[in-house]
Amino acid sequence: MRSASSALALLGISAILSLAGCGPNVHSASVRGTGYVRLDEVVKHHPLYAQLSQLDDAIAAIDLRYAGPQVPLGAKQMAAQTAELNRELRAAQIRANKVLAQKQHDYEVRENQAVQSALAAAGVHGEGALAAAQMSNQSAQQAQQAAQAANSDYMAYQQNVVAQDNAASSSVARQLQAQAEQKYRAKAEQLQQGETDLSLRLTQQDATQRLAIKMRLSNLAMDPAARKQAESQLADINAKEAGEVAAQRNADAETLRAYRAQLDKETGASIRSQVGSIQSQTTAKLSEHRNEVTAQLRGIGPAAPPPNLSPNVQAQIAKIHRQFVGQFQADAKKTIQEYNETKSDLDQQFAALHGADVGATGAAGKELVSLRKRRGDLYAQIVGQVQRDAAHIAQDRGFSIVFVNIDAAAGGYDLTNQVIKDVESQHE
Amino acid sequence: MKYRSALFAAAAILLGIALAPGAIAADLTDVGYVDQADLANLPVFVNANGALAADKARLDAQFNGMVKRARSDAQRQQLAMQFQQQYTDRQREIVGPLFQRAQLAIAAVAATRNLSIVVDKRIVIYGGQDVTKDVEAVFSSSQAIVPPSATPPPSPIGFVDQTALDGIPKVQSANNAMQQFETTQRQIFSAKMAQARSDSDKRQILSDYNKTVTDKQNQLLKPLVDQTRSATADVARKKSLILVVDRADVIYGGTDITTDVQNALGK
Repeated sequence: MRSASSALALLGISAILSLAGCGPNVHSASVRGTGYVRLDEVVKHHPLYAQLSQLDDAIAAIDLRYAGPQVPLGAKQMAAQTAELNRELRAAQIRANKVLAQKQHDYEVRENQAVQSALAAAGVHGEGALAAAQMSNQSAQQAQQAAQAANSDYMAYQQNVVAQDNAASSSVARQLQAQAEQKYRAKAEQLQQGETDLSLRLTQQDATQRLAIKMRLSNLAMDPAARKQAESQLADINAKEAGEVAAQRNADAETLRAYRAQLDKETGASIRSQVGSIQSQTTAKLSEHRNEVTAQLRGIGPAAPPPNLSPNVQAQIAKIHRQFVGQFQADAKKTIQEYNETKSDLDQQFAALHGADVGATGAAGKELVSLRKRRGDLYAQIVGQVQRDAAHIAQDRGFSIVFVNIDAAAGGYDLTNQVIKDVESQHE
Repeated sequence: MKYRSALFAAAAILLGIALAPGAIAADLTDVGYVDQADLANLPVFVNANGALAADKARLDAQFNGMVKRARSDAQRQQLAMQFQQQYTDRQREIVGPLFQRAQLAIAAVAATRNLSIVVDKRIVIYGGQDVTKDVEAVFSSSQAIVPPSATPPPSPIGFVDQTALDGIPKVQSANNAMQQFETTQRQIFSAKMAQARSDSDKRQILSDYNKTVTDKQNQLLKPLVDQTRSATADVARKKSLILVVDRADVIYGGTDITTDVQNALGK
């Protein structure tokens, strides 16, 4: 009996506590075990949010810095920056070619070792092995020499074509800017002539009236009131003419400003288009030449195997050669791709130098990529923690499901404030 | 004795309250979710995406070559649309059949588990039924997938198509105005930023820019966002829904209330 009453007492107390405690009835008809969290709101209360905002600001600042057309540079600055870009491009070419030559050498050494092992495994010793090794060495040396020659030729060609590209682009930009300047001067002169004509026309138009007033004023016997009136009439005529000419001048200045903006826009578009066309021709030329060189190098196959080797061993050596050539080509592709990415970035900087709006490039472009990655990682870290906290709360309170980023709620339970408290309390 | 009776009475009252009709309802257990990122890592999707990326690179190169020769903005725009169409066609051709099969697999699994809605994993942080592995198994099987004969049961989770709501004239016009405003302000503040001498100048310019844009957003977009949210909640209440999510997060089932919200906003 005593235990029954204790149980009832416990039931009563727990029920009272649960009602007073309390929070929502998680299983009510309007909630049905469903919660939701406004993630954006919680993220704003996370202790790392300040860092996230700093990263956002840094990204926005770079974006903003490169959003509009850049301040035009003088001829000297342009030449200096073009020279710097060319130096960077040459350095990238030399670097890529060195890496390619080194890789080629490494693959040849490994191929040679693989051939030696295959011969040893096939039981080819003595003169046969020596001949095969010599064949492999000779083939490797020939291929290396050919590759070095081809690389050196290709590099010279690259520099030549890129220099032509830059010279042509600079020349095009200069010509288009000069044409625009000429058009602007012509327009300015035309408007100035219009203002002179207007001034002359107004003077002629008012000449009779002005002469009459002046004649009246030359009469010494004129009474002061009449003289004052005549002078005032003359001043009115002068003011009217000056006003009309000034209005015309202001309108012309506005026309000139609009014309300058239009010319800048058109010139920028023409430069972009023509420089783009020159650059695509350069890329096509380089790509064509590279394909030719690659085809030539591919043609340098292994030397004819010595006749005393069995067909099986010969086939095995040929297979090893194909395998290493394939691996080298795949590896070289990465280096070429890296070079192309550098070239593309330098091309963009070159285009930006000539007035094109290409966004952040060079060091700023790299910084932007790095900042975006850091931002993404930090955001994922914050969201991960928020989700873990929300899941704990949901479990403790007996929810069956919790959503984030909902559009609207007509029921369910908003757990946002609890999660915010939890997130904040963990870092106090 | 009196004490015991009082306790008994209190317990009975509380039990009564707890069990009163309407105060309790079955929890939502028929919600499934799929990890779409995991699904996209299946080799067949990886290969298809690789092929599509190669096609895109080829089309981009062709487009860049042609757009340089275009004489006017109209021509450039036409070219852009033409290439976008070509890309969409290729996408439909390469990835379309895979998406269809994935949809069928999700529908089949949902029907088997009697789910009323399947959503993307990103929006569920606790509970729900993870059906990703089941879907992958059905998708990867060599057999044809038979579509379920019955439609999914009605769901207390609704969804709205945000793209359709963005198409409402007043929303569209506000979005366009905002976009135009932002473009102009970016140009203006970019020029200021280019001439800034110190870090403190740059910070000030950025802060001014952010304030200018935020103020305009509050003026142009916030009233519409609030209005849309309120209209969505009203429709949800009328339809006895619990929550409303974005259509982009719903993979299968759910209750579509887009038209009702459009009507409530007066189109």
